Amino acid sequence: MPSEACRLRPAIGIGYRRPLDEWTRVNLARFDVLEITLDHCLTGSEATRAAIFDLVGQISLTAHGIGLSIGTNAPLDLAYVDELAAILDRLKAPAYSEHLAFTRVPGRDLGNLLPLPRTRAVAEQVIAKVRTIQSRISVPFLLENITYIFDWQDSELSDAELLSLICAETGAGILLDVENLYLNATNHGFDPYAFLDGLPANTVKEVHVAGGVTLLDDLLPRRLFQDTHSHPVPEAALDLLDYAFKRHAPQAIVLERDDRLEAVDEILDDVARLRARYSPIEVPHGGPAVAAAG
Amino acid sequence: MADRLLRRQVRLVEHLTSSAGIFGAVRGLSNDPELHGLDLALHLEARFSHEKRMQKIEWVLTQTLELLGHRREAMIRDFVEACPPTGISWLGNARQFHAFLKARWRHEPPVPAHLPDIAAYEIAYATVRAGERLGPAGVAEAPAGTIRCHPAAVLLCCAHDIRPLLEGRAGNDTPARRETLLAVTMLPGTDEPQVSELSRDLFEMLEMLDRFIDPSIFHDMPDAGMLIQNLAAGGLIEVHP
Repeated sequence: MPSEACRLRPAIGIGYRRPLDEWTRVNLARFDVLEITLDHCLTGSEATRAAIFDLVGQISLTAHGIGLSIGTNAPLDLAYVDELAAILDRLKAPAYSEHLAFTRVPGRDLGNLLPLPRTRAVAEQVIAKVRTIQSRISVPFLLENITYIFDWQDSELSDAELLSLICAETGAGILLDVENLYLNATNHGFDPYAFLDGLPANTVKEVHVAGGVTLLDDLLPRRLFQDTHSHPVPEAALDLLDYAFKRHAPQAIVLERDDRLEAVDEILDDVARLRARYSPIEVPHGGPAVAAAG
Repeated sequence: MADRLLRRQVRLVEHLTSSAGIFGAVRGLSNDPELHGLDLALHLEARFSHEKRMQKIEWVLTQTLELLGHRREAMIRDFVEACPPTGISWLGNARQFHAFLKARWRHEPPVPAHLPDIAAYEIAYATVRAGERLGPAGVAEAPAGTIRCHPAAVLLCCAHDIRPLLEGRAGNDTPARRETLLAVTMLPGTDEPQVSELSRDLFEMLEMLDRFIDPSIFHDMPDAGMLIQNLAAGGLIEVHP
């Protein structure tokens, strides 16, 4: 368990979004880190790619992927992984994170994260893929917990057990999305603190925070919380993060925002809340965990 | 076990991307016994994913979808059935919808008649904005000073004069049926494409310049040098360095 004395303060920042490029640059000093979506470096417009690579050296960049679909039970797209490896080097990113999920099958791409059956057999398949990825990239690989609406009925492990098993076997770290944890716990009725207790100490290397909406639908027997990355981070999610900090020392906390981007004051307020809560810790030895670049 | 998991994943994604999964009645949609009892959750998952996909398509084909009017919903249902998503790119999904519309228009006249022009224009605009280069790669060996149509420019031959619509000055007027030759280009240092109308001669010349050629072939054209310079400045022609 990290002690108060040796804990480094996490870098705090936001996910880089092209529509907010100008605003982000004006406010760059407010952030320690920007998270780059690697797929935007592959398939984004020329202007988007140029804008992203222009940030190298101006601020620390961390790397997140959305197109790997590690859970699809088919061979990994190694060409894609190799392209990511080159981009990671160019961004000088300290880690590469992806979702423990699947989004596509041969011939169809849902474009949405789907859960995996939480079985030992599935874990073994993911473990093999994580090892392949680790052999082709130069930085630590992190897996993120997703939010899900449905669950496979043959799941035999808990969310934490599946993640822990894969990380223990491969040495991969965890990108803890506290909003996803909060939503899953609320929607599916499990104890989020038990999830956090189930993760091995010091495996959470990065954190995502975000705010979603409550969905009221005639079809629904009860309200459903949806991860829309559109609203301020709920206090209950930050309570979970407080708890996570007791056993983990994440190096970066990234606020994800993909909708209602015009509400930039909310973004700055959330960053200020994170800073007030996690950043003022004095560091007796050494500097911030993710040093400012340049 | 491995094949069984993939089969389950395929069945699930097929269900979530199907018309029945997205639009159908909630109960009894999934025939997979392993997904038994999850109809409502799967219906929501299918709906959310479909809405996300249509949002991407709408970013590109905004006016096209508006012009579909009351036919829009039926058209989208047919599209879902005919064209399951194959990628996450907004432009890729928009191109899929455009290809679907073009196939439909081969046996069913478009309504309104200028819809194909608007759809082609919106795809061209998004393509240029994304910075896609449409010309052949590997032209490093071309001699310096040779010219070709700029690979980041898109030439459009429209059957209607859609410029008033694009410029927001059409009101309720329907675009006149008149061949209108447009070029969508990106000027250096800008983020938004520029649209210009071309003469037939210029349009045909640019179409001909599909590879690097020696500009001296235009020696009998008055002020050819100035014209090439202007076309290069306007992003219509690429001069090999």
